[in-house]
Amino acid sequence: MPRWLAHLVVVAVFAAVVAAAFARVHYAWNWAGVWEYRQKFVQGWLTTVALSLAALVASIVIGGLTALALASRRPLVEAVGRVYVELIRGTPLLVQLLIGFYVIAGAIGLENRFAVGVLVLALFSGAYMAEIFRGGLAAIPQAQRDSARAIGLSPWQTLRLVVLPQALRLVLPPVAGQLVSLIKDSSLLSVIAISEFTLNAQEVNAFTYSTLESYLPLAAGYLLLTLPLSALAHWLESRVRFEAS
Amino acid sequence: MPFIIRLAALCSIWAAAVSAAAPPLRVGMELSYPPFEMTDPQGRPTGVSVRLAEALGRHLGREVVIENISFDGLIPALKTSRIDCIISSLTATPERARAIAFSEPYMKIGLALLVGTASPVRSAADLDAPGRVVAVKKGTTGHTFATTTLHNAKILVLDKESAAVMEVAQGKADAFIYDALSVFRNQRRHPETTHAVLQPFREETWAIGLRPGDDGLRGQVNGFLEAFRAAGGFAQLGDEFLPEEKRAFKEQGLPFSF
Amino acid sequence: MRLEVHDLVQRFDGTTVLDRLALTTGEIQALVLVGPSGGGKSTLLRILAGLDVPVAGSVAFDGQPLPRDETALRAYRRTVGTVFQAYNLFPHLSALDNLLLPLVHVHGLSPAAARDRVREPLERFQLAAHAHKRPAELSGGQKQRIAILRALVVQPRRLFLDEPTSALDPEMTAEVLEMIGELKAQGTQFVLVTHEMGFARRVADELAFVGDGRVLAHGAAAEILDRCSIPRVRDFFGRILA
Repeated sequence: MPRWLAHLVVVAVFAAVVAAAFARVHYAWNWAGVWEYRQKFVQGWLTTVALSLAALVASIVIGGLTALALASRRPLVEAVGRVYVELIRGTPLLVQLLIGFYVIAGAIGLENRFAVGVLVLALFSGAYMAEIFRGGLAAIPQAQRDSARAIGLSPWQTLRLVVLPQALRLVLPPVAGQLVSLIKDSSLLSVIAISEFTLNAQEVNAFTYSTLESYLPLAAGYLLLTLPLSALAHWLESRVRFEAS
Repeated sequence: MPFIIRLAALCSIWAAAVSAAAPPLRVGMELSYPPFEMTDPQGRPTGVSVRLAEALGRHLGREVVIENISFDGLIPALKTSRIDCIISSLTATPERARAIAFSEPYMKIGLALLVGTASPVRSAADLDAPGRVVAVKKGTTGHTFATTTLHNAKILVLDKESAAVMEVAQGKADAFIYDALSVFRNQRRHPETTHAVLQPFREETWAIGLRPGDDGLRGQVNGFLEAFRAAGGFAQLGDEFLPEEKRAFKEQGLPFSF
Repeated sequence: MRLEVHDLVQRFDGTTVLDRLALTTGEIQALVLVGPSGGGKSTLLRILAGLDVPVAGSVAFDGQPLPRDETALRAYRRTVGTVFQAYNLFPHLSALDNLLLPLVHVHGLSPAAARDRVREPLERFQLAAHAHKRPAELSGGQKQRIAILRALVVQPRRLFLDEPTSALDPEMTAEVLEMIGELKAQGTQFVLVTHEMGFARRVADELAFVGDGRVLAHGAAAEILDRCSIPRVRDFFGRILA
């Protein structure tokens, strides 16, 4: 059975099971009410896209710089990286958002909610990215660096021509996973009243009392973002594979 | 058979019959709305609505189970029969009445404003202007009011009352639309950074939420509310949980329902 | 090349690996280092190749002392070639790109000029057909021969080979040794660390036995292998060649 067909069959079976469950529950569907509020869904989805994209790019940059810091031989530089990573990974995003917005942002005069949200999300994801990148860098055997030294490459050339290309292939799967997580984590930004997708769906639910009719499109909207990302990551992985097939 | 064993058998049959006949009354409320729905330092539910629920349970001869559910999840929980009724300072609105049934109202309340000291807002009329930022709690009548009537102001939808209050206290929002009693209490806690516009700009009533078609329970609840009020139950609750508010509101000539 | 090593000391983690090692050769083409594992021969080779800096002592090729600071050493490394036991090649590049990398990025050749330079050696050593494969698709022997080529095409003064066949099976070992034999024939200077005594005998102009961090015997290959009077050295060969 070809793979795409197998996937389709599984999804169809799953959908059938879910539909049967709903049929049994005698749920009074009210799609009309939710349709009235479709603008909120669209606006919320677009906000989530913008948030995620901005935080995505920023977190890759932050993660990359932090990974380099973690690999540094200068104790102060490594310490900054390590403290940042442990602090962020050890506390919940919710706490970071609340403290970040209501305490720190206020103190430094950063008023824009959206900017703070993106920054906190980027810092959160960046810490995980840093560990992923660090793992990727560490997985390159020392012998590779030796070989690069032997042919006379400078440390910067070694990083650019030898280490990074290989590390990139190694980190692609976990980075893609982290980016999917980021898209989903962006829903938490609602606690500082950023009008993103999940909050908008919750509001529609609050106005129309149509819970499932609000939340099913919500799930679909997220899948619309995460599935293409996963597919892109798989495609990239296959392009850059260098083991013998 | 010895007498004691016969008695024990009888008791257990009776207990089984009673519990089979009278399942516990599951009451939904969000325990983050002092002094109506809150928890004591030991973590047990307490407050006006909890006492009301317990009294209702006694009246019906049913055990009461309090389900702590976030406010905007109460109606869905009632509709899917996770709970039997909502006693959570729930305002009876025509929109909500399309989704669920309500008992007779048991409390009159009004929407008021918690305003930041730096804000130019003086009354509800000042809210709908460009540049104004209004905080509301998700799912409340304040939220509905803001979304339907305030088209020029920016509306911040917060999950929690405390977050909305913080927005106002920190000057990030001009005002928080909420019920007058809570506005009063929150202003007391943030005397330097907020002031209260307590004259309600919109009158509302609270009622107990019930499933549509559950007329039996509805009848019982209405009967209970009548009896409870006649026996001075509400006045007692007011004295126990809202003494300061009672005094302050009476002084300022504001309506106080308990 | 003429090699002069005096009082060479190297330590790792507090252990002394080279213990005032001294070695002076004549004007030779091929020097072969043999000895027990952990005896110091690879450590010596790494210092000669400019990869590690010794704690003390001096090294000079043809009267030119090796520098001690990293920048100067990097410049030195660009004038020589080194081949390790394994993991020489970069797995994300094809064999051809592995060859071109040092030419383009270290020696400043244009990609076209670099491709020109590697064409003939690839054919001469029968590796042209494999040039577009990635290292994962090459056999161990092919990988090592590409690695040697990579060291060669930058036109180094001399090569350093650290047990290039120790990770290979006999057949591949033979093909790599054949290539090194050709290098000897065409006049390439090199220092080779190996366990292949038969090959060492054929190819070495001088042989040095490195053990316990010092040179225990040094001279013509046949002399050392057959007629060495030092018990330690004789025992070693006795066990290996038996």
